[in-house]
Amino acid sequence: MPIETPFHPRTSEHNKSLDWKDWGGYFAANSYNVVNDFEYFAFRNSAGLVDVTPLFKYRVTGKDAAKFLTRIMVKDINKLKINQATYCCWCDDRGMVVDDGTVMRFGEQEYFVTAADPSYSWFSRLVKRLDVQIEDLTDSYGALALQGPTSRDILKNMCDADLDSLKFFWTSSAKADGFEFKISRTGYTGDLGYELWVRNEDALKLFDAIWEAGQHYNIRMAGIKALDIARIEAGLVMNGVDYHSSLHALIPEQMSTPYELGLGWMVNLERDPFMGQRALKEEKKNGSRWATVGIDINWPDLEALYYKHGLPPHTENGAWRRSIPIYHKQSRSKQIGYATSGTWSPSLKKNIALATIEIDYADPGTEVNFEVTVEHQRKAVRAIVGKPQFFNPKRKRSVLKK
Amino acid sequence: MSTKYDAIIIGGGHNGLINAAYLAKAGRKVLVLEKRHVLGGAAVSEEVFPGFTFSVCSYVVSLFRPHIIRELDLVKHGYNIIPMDASFQPLPDGDLGLCRWGDASRSRREIARFSKKDSEVYGEFSKVMTHMAKFAKEVIDHPAPDVASINPKELSSLLRMGKVFKNLGPELLHMNTKLLTMSSADFLDLWFESEILKGPMSVSGIIGTFLGVRSPGTAYVLLHHYMGELDGAFRSWGFSKGGTGGVSMACANAAKSFGAEIRTNANVAHVKIKNGQATGVVLANGDEIDSKIVVSNLDPNRTYLKMIGEKHLDPEITAEIKRYKLRGSSGKVNFALSGVPNFCKKREGLDFMKGDIAVVPNVDYVERAFDQAKYGEFSERPYINIVVPSLTDPTLAPPGKHVMSCFVQYAPYDIKEGPEYWPKLSEKFGDAVQETIKEYVPDIDSLVEHRQVITPWDLQETFGLTEGNIFQGELTLEQLLFQRPISGYAKYKTPIKNLWMSGSGTHPGGGIMGSGGELSAKLILNERAI
Amino acid sequence: MKNYDIIIIGGGHNGLTTATILAKKGKKVLLVEKRNVLGGIAAGEEFHPGYFTSGLLHDTSGVRQDVIKELQLEKYGLEFLNERADVTILSSSGKHVTIKADENATSASIAKFSQKDAQAYKDYKDFLNKISRVINDLMDNPPPNINVDNLTMASLVVLAKKGLKLKGLGNKTMMELLKVAPMSVADFLDEKFETDFLKAGLAAPALYGSYAAPRSAYSTINLLLWECASRNHIKGGPQALINALEKAATAAGVTIRTSAEVEKIVLEESGSIKGVRLKGGEEIYASKVAASCTPKETFLNLFDDFEIDYELDFWISKIRSRGTTAKVNLAVNKIVELNGQNIEYARTGNNFNEMEKAFDPVKYKEATSNPFLDIHIPTATDSSLAPEGHSVVSVLVHHIPYDFAEGWSEAAKNKLGEDVLNILEIYSPGIKKSVEGMEILSPEDFEQRYTLTEGHIYHGEHFVDQLITRPIPACLSYSTPVNGLYLCGSGSHPGGGITCAPGSMAAAAILK
Repeated sequence: MPIETPFHPRTSEHNKSLDWKDWGGYFAANSYNVVNDFEYFAFRNSAGLVDVTPLFKYRVTGKDAAKFLTRIMVKDINKLKINQATYCCWCDDRGMVVDDGTVMRFGEQEYFVTAADPSYSWFSRLVKRLDVQIEDLTDSYGALALQGPTSRDILKNMCDADLDSLKFFWTSSAKADGFEFKISRTGYTGDLGYELWVRNEDALKLFDAIWEAGQHYNIRMAGIKALDIARIEAGLVMNGVDYHSSLHALIPEQMSTPYELGLGWMVNLERDPFMGQRALKEEKKNGSRWATVGIDINWPDLEALYYKHGLPPHTENGAWRRSIPIYHKQSRSKQIGYATSGTWSPSLKKNIALATIEIDYADPGTEVNFEVTVEHQRKAVRAIVGKPQFFNPKRKRSVLKK
Repeated sequence: MSTKYDAIIIGGGHNGLINAAYLAKAGRKVLVLEKRHVLGGAAVSEEVFPGFTFSVCSYVVSLFRPHIIRELDLVKHGYNIIPMDASFQPLPDGDLGLCRWGDASRSRREIARFSKKDSEVYGEFSKVMTHMAKFAKEVIDHPAPDVASINPKELSSLLRMGKVFKNLGPELLHMNTKLLTMSSADFLDLWFESEILKGPMSVSGIIGTFLGVRSPGTAYVLLHHYMGELDGAFRSWGFSKGGTGGVSMACANAAKSFGAEIRTNANVAHVKIKNGQATGVVLANGDEIDSKIVVSNLDPNRTYLKMIGEKHLDPEITAEIKRYKLRGSSGKVNFALSGVPNFCKKREGLDFMKGDIAVVPNVDYVERAFDQAKYGEFSERPYINIVVPSLTDPTLAPPGKHVMSCFVQYAPYDIKEGPEYWPKLSEKFGDAVQETIKEYVPDIDSLVEHRQVITPWDLQETFGLTEGNIFQGELTLEQLLFQRPISGYAKYKTPIKNLWMSGSGTHPGGGIMGSGGELSAKLILNERAI
Repeated sequence: MKNYDIIIIGGGHNGLTTATILAKKGKKVLLVEKRNVLGGIAAGEEFHPGYFTSGLLHDTSGVRQDVIKELQLEKYGLEFLNERADVTILSSSGKHVTIKADENATSASIAKFSQKDAQAYKDYKDFLNKISRVINDLMDNPPPNINVDNLTMASLVVLAKKGLKLKGLGNKTMMELLKVAPMSVADFLDEKFETDFLKAGLAAPALYGSYAAPRSAYSTINLLLWECASRNHIKGGPQALINALEKAATAAGVTIRTSAEVEKIVLEESGSIKGVRLKGGEEIYASKVAASCTPKETFLNLFDDFEIDYELDFWISKIRSRGTTAKVNLAVNKIVELNGQNIEYARTGNNFNEMEKAFDPVKYKEATSNPFLDIHIPTATDSSLAPEGHSVVSVLVHHIPYDFAEGWSEAAKNKLGEDVLNILEIYSPGIKKSVEGMEILSPEDFEQRYTLTEGHIYHGEHFVDQLITRPIPACLSYSTPVNGLYLCGSGSHPGGGITCAPGSMAAAAILK
């Protein structure tokens, strides 16, 4: 049975749909209302508040903490400055991605790592003789994501942190009325937003302070469904949906490298040794098997298929997470990839998807056929391969005060 | 005299009944003869005390082959398994113990109380085991290839098995060697550190064998826990509604529906053999029944030495069958209780007790139990696998009362004083079990209304299991595959023409799987023996 | 910069073998040994002033004849005897029987107490003779490379040939071999023999160095391997072998440095071998390194964290090498007889239950006070190892745990010595009061002195999975995933004991 997060007394009051799901062993609200569009629009127009406590959270400390993280992450964590954060993935020796998450540096020898899967065992196995301590904070810290254009104003009204100068992927300590917490300018929506990390005992105080401050800024509770739409628009891949951890994958075809996930930008091959480096160098030389791309699905084609049956076009309510075949542009008997998640983008007014495509067909602009089911019949519509980022507003990175 | 039956099946255990059902389904005229008044053999339900029904011997159903359920339409005939959700390991002194659930996150949190590392590695371990279970499935669902043979059919079956190996990849192949040969304790040490997790996991490798968790060759049984996933029958561990006899009754009903005839209280004295061929059976009361073939569902020892008899056997074969190791190592204690035996009052509700409860707090505990048995004594503090099926199936006991079934190891058949001394030790053995349980359920004495103790001697005398071996012979490598029961006769045949075997003493071995009954019947039909 | 073609780590019998073969093929070879003497566990030691053993291990019956020929060791003073040394099996009841190379003579002496066993021994030897070709073929050749990823026709042919060789046994012998191999040595011998102490003594070599007791499944494999591979012995024991090897190595041009402890194997940026760094900082370069120390020592102590892949590190760390052997060396001021016999080699055991009980405590990190002994009295044939009229009694003690919960304090070791003396007193009354000096080596001391991980005398247990793919699949054919690094010690196929087989096959692999 999933357990409750420290915010549960509040989230359960807000959850009018009673639509809960099991996220990492916690109850998480799928959607607070039966119709979840408004939760999504809060991310894009005002502020959505998501309980992201189920993220796995670790504190890594010790003399060799930076050295350790630099060894196991594909990014050079040595370069991370105090209060800086970075999005990163980590691999096994074969260069296959184990998980992805955010690494934050809170002190000289203190780091904070988030992960999608339980990672204590993986991390601690790799410590070896290094002077590193790993502490699992998952069950002792709550986490909230406050995402959207008014999120900065809300926070400014409830704590002392200098939010006007806090840059994208930086962190700050914050004090509010009688408690402290950490703010990182990070998130999973591709919008202006923050994630807040707080000890369990202060969780409700934090929630209440934000909620009260948010009243003037149209704050809304948002669930996983709304978050999913936003993250697909932002082109952010998800462990367990768009790829599988190499620790859990059963066959090589189920594993992916950072390059194949579109995370190649974070890999610096020419640096101190790190896990997977040798294999990734090989891949760089010999080429990847496939790529993760964005798929822009042709709307008129879909519309036409519905019209044929005398129906108005239909879109799914919210995002979907299942495998849908993608075919060669000329031949529907030749499968060249598959979509892993997708959504009707309420902002862009089109169907989009994240997909795994054979490397030969992964160049932006490549035309493909995307399978759709219309009135119980399998058909295909045209679609265009692109970068997996459909939405990227300027405000995401904006700083008000240098 | 005209032959009335195509086949006579000796022994109405689940394998015999399945064999009968397959033969009858194919239109053969079949007679099943059961010595006892009830069907089921070791898979039997009996109302031992008024109002209390027990799965007297075998108590959980795990590896029953799903295709047999489909092919014999067993659900229509009453096959009904209630899945078990939890697996609980109590600790003395009121500790919460460890409960493993179907819910992975819940199990992870439970394990993390003892080891955070183990809680996460558990999933990785499952992944490796699921991979390797593919091989086990291949082995279980086909007759064993004959290594000594060079005929192309046998080679192709070896090759098929080899292909499964090939698909494993080098690391998994290496792992497979480890799994086949290592001790379950050593194998689990490759992954885990916490005793309370390794304890109950390791014992699955020793159930029914005269081996300890540190004895080489006990690791591969760990696989069986992961087979369910491959069968598409998740949660395949469960209780049969109305007790384990329900499985046998479903098989019997299926057999009858196809026209098989079944007689109880029909004790076969021996097989009728003429000119080296089986022609029927002779009952203990002197009656003779003829048939074209005879299928013995009894263990190899009984089949060869009693049903056939040494005088019909080549001395070399007799010598081989005498090498076949049975060495029963377990007993059973069944309790009729006036209330719930609560193994952990600190836990909310009783869900944690609705699966099996394993008394094995650590690896050394069970190894020490084995050490004692090696030198001819039953373990004073044995490994006990407990189920309280009346919590999930209230029909088994009067309202508010419960049946508690305890599988106990080690109780060596060959005790110091000699096996025939067992009846004198029976109550002492029962007391040791009750005392052990008292460490977890302090008020157990006041709950006990009745107690039934089944020693290895009883298993032999009442249920016909030679030396009390619940698997009709040890499941050690030299007695598996093409060597079960003896090499040259691993394909359900015997040196006597028209006498076949179908019990757990044939490939692939024991447990309520039904494979022996099914594979032997299919071979009989395939070879047009009848 | 390159000083040598190859550097050999460890100057035991395997390291010397590899070094010499390579030097004879024209390679520039450096051998570095941590201790101030060569030989490793084959080295004789002066354990008490004026008293010498001929090696930590004393069984030279498995030394490979082709190595002796290839290296012309007889030219360097080796006296090679083409049959096994006599070994006497002792019973605490006062009975004993000497197992001689001549099986008829052995059978005749068994017949004195059991006709049945005399015949059983002949049948047993018959069976061994039938299977020995197959077993020795497995031991004398590098392991077949079973890389299932690219199972080629060629490798299939090799495998098929092995299979056919198995078939060449004849169906009956083959089926018998398949039947008995997985059995416990107790079950196997119980089927054949009736006399307890004889069974115990025959079984004992299968249990030396193992984490197993007579009733442990698969111990029969070890018995069969040992019986088939034991074909000869060397006069003067292991130290004599080392003397000859050292001379051969020097003659072949091997540079030998003792008291040279490797601190670390040094890698190029590319991850290939660059050389070694000695304690003190000196770096020596070569593009190849062959390590005769244990695989665990090689990979877990001679590399930095992360220098080797996680998977490799994982599998190496999972090699089971739980030491179960201790040693007691006695300096005795008289000629020692056992059961009234003047003998060089003897074994105790008495019966399977006693041996089983000697192992039981090991599982719980405890130690028995009644271990079984593998006794060597080198002074029986070489009086120069002790003062005139005195004896050296060198005893390998089984089973004694490495990870003793109480810890290997002086007191614990003295208790072990006392226990061994008490047992010896049964076979040699009065020995206790004639002991002038005693050295007790716990498994922990083995680790300290000989760099044997966990004190395991074979560099890793001889158990099925660790025999078939020794030490691990990634290092199967003496090469390793580290480019230029080879393994040439007992941790590799076909395993431990004084055989020189891993050393010579590794040399062949390196030359390829």
